Amino acid sequence: MTELILNAIANGILLGGVLALLAFGLNLIFGVVKIIHLAYGQCIMLGMYVIYTMVDRVGIPLIPACLITLPITGIIGLLLQWAVINPLLKAKANPLTQLLALAGLTIVIENVAQLIWGADLRGVKVQLPLINIGSLFLRTSSLIAFFGALLTLFGLYLFLNRTYLGLAIRCTAQNVDSAKLMGVNPQAIYFVTMAAGGILTGIIAAFFSPIYAVHPHFGGSFTMMAFIIVVLGGMGNLLGGFIGAFIIGVVTSVSAVLTSTEIADIIALVIFIAVILVRPQGLMGLKVSR
Amino acid sequence: MPKFFLFLILLAAVAIFPLLFPSPYLIHIATLIFIWAFITTAWSYMGRFGLVSLGHGAFLGLGAYTSGLLFNFYGLSPWIGMLLGGLIAVVFAIIIGYACFRFGVIGDYFALLTLALGEVVALGIIAFRDITGGSLGFTLKSMGTSLLYFQSEQKIHFFYISLGFLIVAMLVWVWIDRSKMQKALRAIGEDEIAASTLGVGIIRYKMIITMISAFMTAIGAVLYAQYITYLNPHTLSGVPPSLEIAFKAILGGMFSLWGPAIGTALTVSLEEYFRVAYGSTFVGFSQIIYGLALVLLIIFLPKGIYGSLHDFFSRKKSR
Repeated sequence: MTELILNAIANGILLGGVLALLAFGLNLIFGVVKIIHLAYGQCIMLGMYVIYTMVDRVGIPLIPACLITLPITGIIGLLLQWAVINPLLKAKANPLTQLLALAGLTIVIENVAQLIWGADLRGVKVQLPLINIGSLFLRTSSLIAFFGALLTLFGLYLFLNRTYLGLAIRCTAQNVDSAKLMGVNPQAIYFVTMAAGGILTGIIAAFFSPIYAVHPHFGGSFTMMAFIIVVLGGMGNLLGGFIGAFIIGVVTSVSAVLTSTEIADIIALVIFIAVILVRPQGLMGLKVSR
Repeated sequence: MPKFFLFLILLAAVAIFPLLFPSPYLIHIATLIFIWAFITTAWSYMGRFGLVSLGHGAFLGLGAYTSGLLFNFYGLSPWIGMLLGGLIAVVFAIIIGYACFRFGVIGDYFALLTLALGEVVALGIIAFRDITGGSLGFTLKSMGTSLLYFQSEQKIHFFYISLGFLIVAMLVWVWIDRSKMQKALRAIGEDEIAASTLGVGIIRYKMIITMISAFMTAIGAVLYAQYITYLNPHTLSGVPPSLEIAFKAILGGMFSLWGPAIGTALTVSLEEYFRVAYGSTFVGFSQIIYGLALVLLIIFLPKGIYGSLHDFFSRKKSR
């Protein structure tokens, strides 16, 4: 039993790495564009479908296929900003309306996916060995995803903190009006952020592809998971999201071993509800902002 | 009273509809529209005051499964099961509602929290698969045509029953509209702090409307389950049904009495049209159109189709 739990913890940490990336994307968009991107998981799903199509239908090897996917998902992000989010911001819609519009978008994306790729499970076939350390059994694909996610996060950290564009993004996140005074065009920054968020969905899709098979409702569960993490860590708080991802990763993975996957998801959702009720600013947040 | 007569004429037209067109298919579609219109109207009791719940699937699941399981295991009449299911939904609404309103969860946070709740109930139903049948769902034991067990092999019975339910839901709407509660809730919806400084009991009024909405939604779910005689967690709880209820109401316009019903009629008929016209080659095509229409509506016509048309015509009249 202890071995099982140890395995669950190790796998939870590995999952937490990818979830941290997911939460980072959502947090970045929430922090800068100030919108709750409810269709984030669905965007990842689209990325996975693109990878599947290129590998399985066109016959491109997995790694180049993943690389080609990144600009495609980036463009999807730009399209979303142009077609949905910008009109919403222009209409000065309240947060609830924005949330509903994006929830409507999830229906569109899921059904477009079902129309194109059908309702069956679509997976990329990759054979990777199982790594055995003592009594721990780890999947190579999970390990790649974990270290890849950490590397991506580090790259994003450098991008935000060491480049002028990153400075402009952080500036817009802090105060739009001041950013304008400093000569930053918030519209341009919104597009850059959504493109970056889109590329991030492509990266996550690339890490997920060898692990999961994709189906039209795949995105929903990961959106939910990402929201649980983001709210737990504090909306818009990048460090909080990082810590929250590992907490949720380990908690769900251990409780799935002890009970069942459904109960594990219920526990995560109950944590989410409790955090919204009692501590809406999240674990790392300082001030109440509901 | 021209409005009232208009309503009576419409009601009469709907009531004799099955006599003029005795097609089981059309009656089936009409029945589905009535049932879902009942549920979306119940949802709009809350939605119109800014309490946008994306978790009414929780009440659907609790109501339908309470009644269905009690009937299958203990042979309890669904009429009693309906009330019990409604009561359980109300208890759930009290717990969650009090917590939300006490801590001041409103707007988008309320929507997100309820979204999670709908999913919790769906996962709960799936997790207790020994009793509930899990993802596969379960079928209600057939009793033939029996008033006591609320089952019928005649579609026409359910046509009239669900029409009656829908009228009740609309009457409740009118009752809310004329009550003091409506004024209080509108004030709360516009500005909570301002309302509370004027001595409006925010928590109390929100609790009452949430309880009514939860009770009616659960009853609607039992009605649906009795008609279809099959219960499944994916059609009666979880995220997709919860969103669909909200979106049908928003599409038609959740601020007006007829909005939710019209939104439901439009979406259900659109879905059926595409299913019949294009068969299984375009599964989900109606959903895409419906989703796109929804996104555009939310951005450009936040009052919904009926609400916007109503505004348009009343503005013309006043000129």
